[in-house]
Amino acid sequence: MLEEGTPPEALLSQIALGNREAFAALYRATANKLFGICLRVLAERSEAEDALQDVFTTVWRKAAQFDATRASAATWLAMIARSKAIDRLRALPARQSQASLELTEDLEDPGVSPPQEAQAATDRAQLERCLDLLDARRRALIRAAFFEGSTYEELAARTQSPLGSVKSWIRRGLLQLRECLGT
Amino acid sequence: MNTPNPPLGSTDPSGSEPPSDDVLAGEYVLGVLDPAQRRSLETRLGSDRAFAERTAYWERRLAPLLDDIAPVSPPERVWQRVCGRLGWTNTRASIWQSLAFWRGAAILATLVAVVAVGLSVLQAPQPPTVLAPSLVTPLAHDDGTPAWLVSIDRTGGTVAVVPVPGPRDPQGRVPELWLIPPGQAPRSLGLVSVERSRTVEVPASLRAWLASGSVLAVSLEQPSGIPHAAPAGPIIAKGAIRVAGAG
Repeated sequence: MLEEGTPPEALLSQIALGNREAFAALYRATANKLFGICLRVLAERSEAEDALQDVFTTVWRKAAQFDATRASAATWLAMIARSKAIDRLRALPARQSQASLELTEDLEDPGVSPPQEAQAATDRAQLERCLDLLDARRRALIRAAFFEGSTYEELAARTQSPLGSVKSWIRRGLLQLRECLGT
Repeated sequence: MNTPNPPLGSTDPSGSEPPSDDVLAGEYVLGVLDPAQRRSLETRLGSDRAFAERTAYWERRLAPLLDDIAPVSPPERVWQRVCGRLGWTNTRASIWQSLAFWRGAAILATLVAVVAVGLSVLQAPQPPTVLAPSLVTPLAHDDGTPAWLVSIDRTGGTVAVVPVPGPRDPQGRVPELWLIPPGQAPRSLGLVSVERSRTVEVPASLRAWLASGSVLAVSLEQPSGIPHAAPAGPIIAKGAIRVAGAG
């Protein structure tokens, strides 16, 4: 019998062994957060529901591939959710997020939720600090790409900028972030 | 990328030359690549350990951006469809989640027996009585998907409430079970759970209403003060009590 509040890492190792009860417990513990992530990328609710199904069927099949030395279970699950949502977004005939993008301002509300643990607070603070060091244009593009799953082509159209420039800004931004964040 | 001539004014080579693996992994995690590139990198992730490490780096580093995204409770049908896609047609959970099941009277009869056995395990041994068949009432959401299975034991004056496992209410409200006799106001039968079975003792004054024509409903309520005098929150599931072949 699984205890309430079993860590997701432990649930994943049980799921890798084919434990359906652990799978149901993981769903109960994480579906709300992962659905929030799917909805962030896919405004259409039914698409987000389909993406969430993709997420959990993937989790069932790939639980054995979860490597706790690379990422926490929460990060691993969140990134599967983003990835599945982006796959769905790419498959849509008409893209939803074509709103024009103003490059001189940040897109995101900088509201910060209280961190749940010290390590998360450190990672979060470091990421925010490194993003703040980027030129506003690079920062805005990286945030838009991350949260909305826009492709280079879409970002170029949305910002009315040349494709080569958009690629250059994002790639330079990534290199700068890599340098700032360290290993 | 086929951009033989970078636009005028873009002298930056990183826009047109193939990026390093570090940057490519970052582009993959950001989601700026087109479907064909994504697919080819996904294939590469399975075989190229160094590239998988670079991707994991970006995932770990960018994940804190997701902290602010508010959780949203998905509808129950998502869980049902996940079970369906995994081919779990023989599990207890997926039987409960199959709409076809709820409509299948023959299987329902089987379940009555199953739940009756379950109840007899839950309860202290009782002297044999005249067999009073258990009534099984599914409580469904508005869209028809099942949420709870209520098995009524009129002899013992209890109802066993078995959930189709679902997420908790993100606002912290809890499910409260109501008995609604025909033409009367709802009467609280107390707290139930979205996660585990619960047997509720029905007040003696209400037991007569555990019969055809009454409705059982679940609403989301504040945890304090249960049983409430009347529902204040939304009704999330309901079902009418029916007795097969009897009144």
